[in-house]
Amino acid sequence: MHTLGFEAIGTQWSLSTASPLDPGTRAAVADVVESYDRTYSRFRSDSTVARMAEAAGSFILPASAVPLLRLFDSLWQITGGAVNPLVGRSLEVLGYDAGYSFLPSGPPAPAASWTDTVSWSTDGRGTVLTTAAEVTFDIGAAGKGQLVDLVSEVLETAGHREYVVDAGSDLRHAGAAPLRVALEHPYDTKRAIGVLTLSDRALCASAVNRRQWGDGLHHVLDARTGSPVDTVAATWVLAADAMTADGLATALFFAEPQELSGTFSFDYVRMFTDGRADYSPAMAGVLFP
Amino acid sequence: MNRASKSLLSAAAGLSLLSAAGCAAGEETAGAGQAPAEPPASSPASAPGSAAGSGSYADGEYSGTGSYIPPSGTSEDVDVTLRLEGGVVAELEVETSQKNPTSKQYQREFTSNVKEQVVGKNLDELDVDKVAGSSLTSEGFNRALDAIRSEAAS
Repeated sequence: MHTLGFEAIGTQWSLSTASPLDPGTRAAVADVVESYDRTYSRFRSDSTVARMAEAAGSFILPASAVPLLRLFDSLWQITGGAVNPLVGRSLEVLGYDAGYSFLPSGPPAPAASWTDTVSWSTDGRGTVLTTAAEVTFDIGAAGKGQLVDLVSEVLETAGHREYVVDAGSDLRHAGAAPLRVALEHPYDTKRAIGVLTLSDRALCASAVNRRQWGDGLHHVLDARTGSPVDTVAATWVLAADAMTADGLATALFFAEPQELSGTFSFDYVRMFTDGRADYSPAMAGVLFP
Repeated sequence: MNRASKSLLSAAAGLSLLSAAGCAAGEETAGAGQAPAEPPASSPASAPGSAAGSGSYADGEYSGTGSYIPPSGTSEDVDVTLRLEGGVVAELEVETSQKNPTSKQYQREFTSNVKEQVVGKNLDELDVDKVAGSSLTSEGFNRALDAIRSEAAS
């Protein structure tokens, strides 16, 4: 396999392909990543999201925003508001801000209501998102997964049929050779709690062990309270696409698998902070006994 | 199975199941895990006729439905099936109606697949292609943390 590594949207990427990427495909990958970052990054001042933080208004989003916003609509509803892209403001209050101050500026702050604050519509010209107040968007719950899908599309368009797109260990696999993936122990990154086989699906994980900047301060927040979660330590989700897998990996911190399985098709492993775990039937045998 | 039986059992007993395991009405204070003084009065699905054995229960399979009322006020049904061998519970299945989210939370703890502590193995002993866990963090995040740490240390 040929591998291309780069850093983007706050994480390390690696693209592995059976045949090397030609310059045109590399440029197309870079374009997709740059365009996504320019729309959604809350860490750069020239992004669409940065303008949303300055004032209420209407903002034009790319076509790919439609599945992303639909997913967030569903997750908001199923988790009773715990998953909410407006959680960016809550992260800032705890110190995870664009300048990486890591200094809490106040007590945990609930995010603004998603359905009361944001509406969106789509027509032939694109997607228009309208906000009722200035908001700090953070699409971290599913955005990285969607970018994995968009990069995978670029590879498919260029004719690649065997590849692994790896964005900081969120993975999408295609091709004949399955991938053996270890599930990292959330309390000891030198260890794994199991190994699964990934084949023609996406695997996304979420855990609270990295992106910690203080005692009990990490990036998985309940948007209803603005506080970091403390009952689930790590989740892994397998789904047909990475955006769904990523979003569900976050949602499983707040919702029961059965509540999500009515709307989504997926497999999962979930580990709690007390060391217990649960998993979907297809995942039996994945965890070490 | 034995181990799972035990943990299911103690969880079920903690809920004070009514008429679990086919116990006659009036014995509701006996949890599913405790041997009542009398043989079950009803519904031994496949029990041999005699009450012989080490205890006063006849070996065999029993089932019953109980209910309990959690703080939410919504009654939850619990179906229990168990098999007695030599007077002890050899198998136990508990199914719950899972009506309200909080009960669901507790119920999941004894109906889910895994109750053990999750075991870790060293990554370098595993022949794997990738590791999936928490996202690796960006240089920006790590640099900022390093700067804060060194400032705090000086």
